[in-house]
Amino acid sequence: MAPSAIQLADSGRIGKTAARATFLRSTAQLCRGNWLNILIAAILAMMVLPPLWTLVRTSFSISNADLSYGGLTLQNYSELFQGRNLGRAALNSFLFALLSTATSLLIGGVMAWLVERTDVRFKSLAFMTTIISLGTPYVLYVAMWLFLLGRSGPLNDAYRYWVDPGVTLFNVNSLAGMVAIEGLLWSPLVFLLLSSTFRASNADMEEAARMAGASVIQTVWRISARLAWPAILALALFIFIRNLEAFEVPALIGMPGRVEVLTTEIYKSMREMPPRIEYASAFSVILLLVVSVLLYLYSRVSRQAARYASITGKGFRPRPFQLGRWRWLASMIVLLNFFVVLMLPLGALLWTAFSPFVRPIRLAGIPSLTLSQFETVLSSPRYLQLGINTIIVATAAATLTMLLMIVAGWLAARRKAGGNVIDQLVTVALIFPELVLGVALLELSLAVPFPFYGTLALLVVAFMIRYMPFGMRYTYSGVLQIHPELEEAAGTAGANTALILRRIVSPLLWPAIASGWLFIFLICAKSMALPLLLAGPDSQTISVAMFSVLSNGQGGEVAAMGLIWTALMTVIASAFYFMARRQSAHAFAH
Amino acid sequence: MSAGLTRRTFGGVLASATLAPKGAFAAADVEAARREGALLWYTTLVVDQVVRPLIQGFSQKYPGIKVSFVPGPAQEQTLRITSEARAGQPRGDVVDGAFSFFPLNAAGLIAPYSVESAAQYPTVYKDPAGLWTAHFLGAAVAAVNTDMVRAEEIPQTYDDLLHPRWRGRIAWPDTPTLYGGAGVVGNILTFMGRDKGMEFIEKLAKQQIINVPSNQRVVLDQCIAGQYPLVLSVFNHHAAFSASRGAPIKWLKLEPVLVSFSTISLIKNAPHPNAAKLFLEYNMSEEGQTIYGASGYVPVHSKAASQFPGLRPEDGNFKATIITPANFNANQKDWVDIYKRLFA
Repeated sequence: MAPSAIQLADSGRIGKTAARATFLRSTAQLCRGNWLNILIAAILAMMVLPPLWTLVRTSFSISNADLSYGGLTLQNYSELFQGRNLGRAALNSFLFALLSTATSLLIGGVMAWLVERTDVRFKSLAFMTTIISLGTPYVLYVAMWLFLLGRSGPLNDAYRYWVDPGVTLFNVNSLAGMVAIEGLLWSPLVFLLLSSTFRASNADMEEAARMAGASVIQTVWRISARLAWPAILALALFIFIRNLEAFEVPALIGMPGRVEVLTTEIYKSMREMPPRIEYASAFSVILLLVVSVLLYLYSRVSRQAARYASITGKGFRPRPFQLGRWRWLASMIVLLNFFVVLMLPLGALLWTAFSPFVRPIRLAGIPSLTLSQFETVLSSPRYLQLGINTIIVATAAATLTMLLMIVAGWLAARRKAGGNVIDQLVTVALIFPELVLGVALLELSLAVPFPFYGTLALLVVAFMIRYMPFGMRYTYSGVLQIHPELEEAAGTAGANTALILRRIVSPLLWPAIASGWLFIFLICAKSMALPLLLAGPDSQTISVAMFSVLSNGQGGEVAAMGLIWTALMTVIASAFYFMARRQSAHAFAH
Repeated sequence: MSAGLTRRTFGGVLASATLAPKGAFAAADVEAARREGALLWYTTLVVDQVVRPLIQGFSQKYPGIKVSFVPGPAQEQTLRITSEARAGQPRGDVVDGAFSFFPLNAAGLIAPYSVESAAQYPTVYKDPAGLWTAHFLGAAVAAVNTDMVRAEEIPQTYDDLLHPRWRGRIAWPDTPTLYGGAGVVGNILTFMGRDKGMEFIEKLAKQQIINVPSNQRVVLDQCIAGQYPLVLSVFNHHAAFSASRGAPIKWLKLEPVLVSFSTISLIKNAPHPNAAKLFLEYNMSEEGQTIYGASGYVPVHSKAASQFPGLRPEDGNFKATIITPANFNANQKDWVDIYKRLFA
């Protein structure tokens, strides 16, 4: 056990200024936990570097028809750069990522602030919106928005009926449509991340401002926004990077409208027969290089955030803002968010699930609504098994990832030895397009000497690699909000790293941990591209079944499946969330 | 997913009528299959619709052989099989899908096996070396949404597709396989000849056909939902199925209709070769083929009926261009290039 301050004094090892020397000594003691740094860095390196190496190597290869390697070549890159639309695709990627990030930030940020820092009504509605929309499989969410905003959807239908027949008001297969849907898709993540930031931020300065006579707007603009600024900027960069490598929305929405982004090329080349992995890999490497620049910026920005740490040892207690006259307007915003982000697509899903075949929303369709799709889904023993597999995989992935990220996030945020390396390793995982990661893991899993290929464990590892950066986001910004003085005090009292992490950091980090766990759990459960490639006969997940049903055009059945699945996820997530809130109330209460 | 429809010759029809007894699979091989006790099927087919009924039928007939499967699109199945082969750990026994076949065969990953139950199938339905056998047929047709298109406007011939009313209102699946734009190109070039064909195709390109990044079923569904009034390269058996459920969809016999078939093959170095062969026999037998028919597919076997009449050229009374997977493979580069150049 580490020597206490008194023992240190007795042994005469304390220098001139007692407090300062003790502080230095305890920091040294903290750093002596180097074994932990090395361990975490090693684990992360083992997870991230082999796929990265496979990716780079593949990008320089060409394979012959008989599977032998055609050797190293620059052919993939030259083809890439000679591509017709590289410039345009790059511009579209940039615009798409920028605008959809802004949209998500606006929606999620406003919601987070309203819910966490004010006395607005309908707070639980905001959480419900987040949880349910996060629990809804991507493909379905996007498909429902396509349905709603499409040429024959209710929006255009209504316009044609009431205003101008024969004119399509809104073309969803455009950059605008892509931005809107991607923005909506990620606003729940922004909400979760910013809400844990806001929840822990100190309201003293805001109270002081209001008492000095500042209006709500002035206070928000000059105090709250500035306090949260580094967290918001870091989050913005993160989501921007994530949107750069998105491919579902660009493929499903952009391609029919001929709006191409960089990832469209990757998607198309992987859909060819045989799939052109080498070309896709070259593209991914280019993305990686572009993103590295952004990652560098991101790490610089995140570092500034230490100045804005709010959870200190001094009487910390977040207090909600009284909105006064603005309360009704704010509550309307929450309701609007609930309606747009959740009710509209859910409504479309309900309509589809009850219809015998996919059709526009019309009064004429009501008599033929049926429960048969639900009966089909609920009576299938296969779906039950798949559901169980999915929950096992998602739980394992979320738990292991968050455990790893608590330590990694702390090491990186406190800038311990190797913290920077750890940060880079984790964030590199963000740029693997899902398909390309899957192919690399397929190859690697066959090469290891123990049973791994086709098992649930492979899926868990794949999800961990893919979603680590998200978990890191939660813990990193969460740790930054905790002023180091609490840990230093513990170190002075003789605690070692493990104890500090367990007794000080984790309880205070709990809101971030819980949100991160929940997010990763929900997103793993609905992930489709990785299981389609990596699942073996006994390790299939519900999304594989959904894909099978969806690609057979059984829109009604997959909608029913999606609804049942979303309901299940909501129940699990709500239960978890309530537990988490009670825990955090416990940690933050006085 | 792929499906194919093949034209039968008169001779073929007559020959199939006098089919040899099914299940003419040596008893010794069934025993070997039972000893293996399991098999793994990498399938591009729809699980609940046909995969499970087939497995159920097979398991009832040959108890003791556990059939596992991994469903997924052709691209994923190809990646699996090639990765396993590269690592020297083949796991799969059977793979289906005409478009998986060629890359896998080029890589030497398919094992020959002449299916005895298919002995009486017309030769166009099976590979002479036994590398593949057709297990169901598919016609890639045009379809219209009858709520959106008036009866007098419905196209009757390919030339009707060039009418200005269809500009920007036609969609097809964006896939570089036979059941997409490349197939339409191939069909036109085959029956119109190169010069007139290219002329037609260039005019068709001006119609700004929408490339939907999904498969044929989804494109058909989007037509039913009213997204596009006219779609090309969708399956007639899908359209017939939806129409029977009340959907406002009608498939068109723009002659000649493109017709092809899906194939199923034995994977090289399969861990359970005898069980796999037995399974292939079952697929091609009358019993197996009847299951395909009942599941809404168009069976190859002359004695197995499809769920809806009129889907095959003979009983649907339409002219067809048969493009076999081998045919497509030989011409793929040319047709896909034209497609990419003019339409993508």
